[in-house]
Amino acid sequence: MYRSVEEYLDALKKEMQGFDSATMQDALTDAEEHLRTALETARESQPEMDAAATLPAIIEQYGSPEETAAAYAEVERRTSPSLAQSVNRKQRTGLGRFFGVYADPKAWGALLYMLIAFVTGVIYFTWAVTGISVSLSFALFIFGLPVMLLFLLSVRGVAWLEGRLVEALLGVRMPRRPLFAPQNIKWQERIKLLVIDKHTWLSFLYMVVQLVLGTLYFVVLVTLFAFSLSGIAIPILQEAFNISVIDTGSTYYYLPQWGYPLVVLAGLLLWTATMHLVKLVGDLHGRYAKAMLVVEQD
Amino acid sequence: MVDHNMPTKKFQKEMNSGTASLVMLSVLSQSEDPMYGYQIAKLLDDNRQDALAMKQGALYPVLRSLEKNGLLSSKVEPSVSGPPRRYYTITGDGRETLTLWTEIWSQMKSFVDSILEGESDV
Repeated sequence: MYRSVEEYLDALKKEMQGFDSATMQDALTDAEEHLRTALETARESQPEMDAAATLPAIIEQYGSPEETAAAYAEVERRTSPSLAQSVNRKQRTGLGRFFGVYADPKAWGALLYMLIAFVTGVIYFTWAVTGISVSLSFALFIFGLPVMLLFLLSVRGVAWLEGRLVEALLGVRMPRRPLFAPQNIKWQERIKLLVIDKHTWLSFLYMVVQLVLGTLYFVVLVTLFAFSLSGIAIPILQEAFNISVIDTGSTYYYLPQWGYPLVVLAGLLLWTATMHLVKLVGDLHGRYAKAMLVVEQD
Repeated sequence: MVDHNMPTKKFQKEMNSGTASLVMLSVLSQSEDPMYGYQIAKLLDDNRQDALAMKQGALYPVLRSLEKNGLLSSKVEPSVSGPPRRYYTITGDGRETLTLWTEIWSQMKSFVDSILEGESDV
């Protein structure tokens, strides 16, 4: 049936069409680890064995691609990604849904992610720009090549790390670990794969763009938070600390007391709306990160 | 005597998926060193009887889901030859859960046994 591990993996990949790409990647790495280890063990006990002849028995024990795919589907059905279980346990009506966002871990996760994105954005950008400039300028010399390759490797590492962050905070399934490079190829081939893989460059682009996005997220968040908080704080500031709403140095404008409920309500509504915005942006960013950082199976 | 008709296969499958997590936690709690998937599969193979033919490939998603629930932890280490291997270790949470599950299992076992042996007052 299958004459090599690759053939089995191809069949498994086909069988898992339509699965979440991260689950598929988990399944492929697991299968590859198992089948290769089993082959290796068989080879140790009888060195002259023929891999093509031993493989069917190993696969028989491991399970056909259909069986393996079914096993992952079964487990995946029972355990969903870290934060995804929280999606509407019961359908609530208008107002409840609007304020229900405070009970939604996805919104809080996204909020935290957007704040962190400011810091990671700066780090990614610095690393990406430094790495590429150093690599390009060293390209004149013979040792420029290894520097370039190390940098590209680090980009894949950062992509993986960012993937973990996105999965933990935004609840989007990302691969547990980088896909294996095909076995039994020379290191020159490996390097070629690293350089021509579009995800190396998409990850690089992601690192650069993250500075802009991170800054944008941070600024928008802080601004909206400041507006909301000031609305809520106006009555306290005026009544307890005698600080006016508008203070030009010569004129002081105090909000009349009938306005208190209005500004507090406006502040609360604005912050609740912000939480919805945050959730939406988190969702979009998760999808964008997945498209950029994860090797999609095709 | 292994029957291979559909309901029997389905029954086997359900029994396997019901007990796989317990078995795997137990194997890892008895092992001094972290173990990788193939090792666990081999060990189960050596103890398995005909009726319990669970495919080795079905162990891996169970291991992953146990890890996701914090009952196992894992790390990937390169191997001398072949691809890197994922080594699993049981966590403190895992050990506590195992004690609970063992309790449930023995209750379940004696309950089913007592029904099968007709000792109940039905």
